Amino acid sequence: MIEQILVLGAITGAMYALLALGFTLIYGVAEVVNMAYGAISLLGTYMFIFFASFWAITQAGITVVPHSYIVLAIVLAAIVVGILGSIIYRFIIDPVVEDLLALLVVTIGVAIILQQSMAIGFGHYHRAVSIHISGSIALLGVRVITSQVIGAVVSLVLFAILWIFIAKTKTGGAMRATASDREAAMLMGIDTRKLSMLTMAISSSLAAVAGILTVASTTQIATPYIWTEPLIMSFAIVILGGLGSIKGSFIASFIFGYSEQVFITFMPGYTAYLRGAFALAVMVAVLVLRPRGLFGKHVELED
Amino acid sequence: MVRIYFRRIHKDFAQHVLDVPSRLLALLCFPLLLAVPLTQTKVYPLVTMTLATTMAIFAASWDLLVGRTGQMSLGHALFFGIGAYTTAFLTKFYELPIVVTIPLGMLTATLAAVLVGFPSLRVKGPYLALVSMAFPLIGTGLVFYFRDVTGGEKGIWGLPKFFPGYGRVETRVGEYYLALILLLISAIIVYKVANSRTGIVLVSILDDELASKACGINVVKYKLMAFAISALFAGLAGGFYAHLMRVANYDTLGLNLSFLPVILTILGGLGTIYGPIVGSYIYYVVGVFVLDEMLSIPSEWHILFFLAVVILFVLKWPRGIARFVTDKLEDLSEEREIEERGPHIWKKYRRKK
Amino acid sequence: MHLLEVENITKRFGGLVAINNVSFHIDEGEIVGLIGPNGAGKTTLFHLITGFIKADSGTVKLRDENITGLAPHKIVNKGLARTFQVVRPFRHLPTIANVLVSLKSPRGSRKIEWLKTPERKALDLLEDVGLSEMMMEPAEILAHGDLKRLEIARALATEPDLLLLDEPFAGLNPIETDLLTKSLQTIHLDGHTMVIVEHKLHALMKLAKRVIVLHYGEKIAEGTPEEIAKNKKVIEVYMGTGK
Repeated sequence: MIEQILVLGAITGAMYALLALGFTLIYGVAEVVNMAYGAISLLGTYMFIFFASFWAITQAGITVVPHSYIVLAIVLAAIVVGILGSIIYRFIIDPVVEDLLALLVVTIGVAIILQQSMAIGFGHYHRAVSIHISGSIALLGVRVITSQVIGAVVSLVLFAILWIFIAKTKTGGAMRATASDREAAMLMGIDTRKLSMLTMAISSSLAAVAGILTVASTTQIATPYIWTEPLIMSFAIVILGGLGSIKGSFIASFIFGYSEQVFITFMPGYTAYLRGAFALAVMVAVLVLRPRGLFGKHVELED
Repeated sequence: MVRIYFRRIHKDFAQHVLDVPSRLLALLCFPLLLAVPLTQTKVYPLVTMTLATTMAIFAASWDLLVGRTGQMSLGHALFFGIGAYTTAFLTKFYELPIVVTIPLGMLTATLAAVLVGFPSLRVKGPYLALVSMAFPLIGTGLVFYFRDVTGGEKGIWGLPKFFPGYGRVETRVGEYYLALILLLISAIIVYKVANSRTGIVLVSILDDELASKACGINVVKYKLMAFAISALFAGLAGGFYAHLMRVANYDTLGLNLSFLPVILTILGGLGTIYGPIVGSYIYYVVGVFVLDEMLSIPSEWHILFFLAVVILFVLKWPRGIARFVTDKLEDLSEEREIEERGPHIWKKYRRKK
Repeated sequence: MHLLEVENITKRFGGLVAINNVSFHIDEGEIVGLIGPNGAGKTTLFHLITGFIKADSGTVKLRDENITGLAPHKIVNKGLARTFQVVRPFRHLPTIANVLVSLKSPRGSRKIEWLKTPERKALDLLEDVGLSEMMMEPAEILAHGDLKRLEIARALATEPDLLLLDEPFAGLNPIETDLLTKSLQTIHLDGHTMVIVEHKLHALMKLAKRVIVLHYGEKIAEGTPEEIAKNKKVIEVYMGTGK
């Protein structure tokens, strides 16, 4: 039982980490609390369904998509969502980035618009999401669904790639500089608006991939209304880890991943709603007791 | 004479809130609202107008908290839902009369506001918005967990009507007028609060919380008060809604409902009394009568339209339609020149005496 | 018994020691100046005394009552009011309403004379600082000098025993400076004790009988304006060592 919690917790945590990374990035670099993050992630899932359907082959009543095209569909979905994300940033978010109330209203508005658009475009009923890999693998003596393992591995790989990008490249350096002191970065000649657009593109793409991997390997069902869950989880993780801290959200992702497995193991009535409620309760507790989270840098002065 | 002079200060200040042209507008519209049932004989438009009136109360309660006191609430559905579920529960399982259960629902919502308020107020700015979003979602989780009591997905249905025993149309007409009366009472109370010295303190908290503290104001106390009053009226709206629709389900705690007063208030004007009311009527009248009947646009597209409008408004005119119109009217009638000082302003001040 | 007694106040921000073991006292009826180069910690000291920031160690006592760590509004209601270095008016309220806010505080409302309405008292206070003409104008249209006076009227509305003024002369032209000096003298005669942080030493020296000098968060000198003007350390701090 312990091994099961260990392994499954790690897998869940890894996929959360990718999701939370996108959220942390856009908050750190652009200071944007993106309420549409969950909807963007869900849009990625729908885009994946859309692209994958091009290459679907139906044989004997079973629909299959060849693996290489699955990858292609994911990549295309990520690109499309990334571009859309930066457009949303440029035209809707950037004008109101200083006024928090307006920003929240506007991003929630975008989220609901995306929800309705997905409902209109894809229907409000259930849609199947699958990466068409069946079977299971044994890890540490625990049977794990292969698609989940793949999801976790891909998530960690992407996380690592982003980490290196931010740490080693010039653009990554610009992102770190802007996140640490926006005005200083501007004075140094960094075009923070372009940088924010790029960050938003990356953030949205990450959200898309994370969404696809998660849904495809767990529930395998999408409806246009499930965008609140990834949003809640991202929020809770990022606030626990500390807004703006990549390391913090990484660790917090695993904390949530493991605690979820613990609950599933020991609480039979545990449902998706309770997961959200628990995550939110943790979030509220953190905000009240230690607003900067585990590794956050904002110290809330009275002043 | 001195006393008359000082009563004027409140009236003059009130002009910032309910500027003369818009007060006229509101007075003009009210008889129109009263006349609605005379023109509509079908049930659907009547119910829509009643719904608009109910949501006007809900939106006004939200605006008191957000527009007046500056406390962001993205989870106002919590109080609406509590109001709805409380009255539903009490009327269905304890068979108490509506006249008793709705006020009980309101008080429960107020109690919830105080409980929720304590942790919420320790938290600043963006975090407050997040925390406020969290509570109704937690509430939804609880609703599903305790499905025996709350009816789970189906909710509590079969709730008693306001006016049992009357014909289909008559009962809807009665509900409409009842809603209007409740709206009027709510609007008057909120207006009185907003324009009292307490209201002045609330605006000071909105403007500069730190400076307000430096004036000796216990900001937390006033914020809680604003929360409580806001929840009271949100609970009223929720309770009324439950008996209007004759069901209370988890939609009454949903995010879409939490966001509705935001849309309505931004349409009509943030921080005013009439703004959310105007916004609500515009939303429902345009939504049902224009988009639905005249243009036959399916309902999924409605919200796209309104949200696009809202986003446009936030980007271009942060103060909403009603404010925009009345500002223009005021500019024409008073030639307000904020930049200039000197004798010109002296004259303006003299005119106000 | 001193009106205000600050003992061994220390405040660190991360690794930086902003206020280092500062002690001083203020007696009733004084006007005391608090000066020092930029960044010396004067405003931080005000924040610490008035409860806007919590000190790491040390005590603040108002008439022997320990007010260290109390919430800012409670301190105001005990008779200690302040103004801000950068004015903080309530922009959306008319000028008179700005003062009415203070009058709604427990102390403010308690101190309104019998048979007076708050509005009457607010108008009186505005007249005292010369703003009664602007009473119905929204505060956002006031000029900088007027806003500074509004801050003072707002602080006075709570009838403080001790008034802390943070750079009241900043941004004022010579005429306004003169007017404000006279206003402050009147306020002093009315029985208010004052501590004034100020860079315009000319104006300050006319008002203050005693001056405390702060540098890098430490008290480096204390004395009459004449003594301070001749103090070697103070001159060094302001002028550099000249080598």
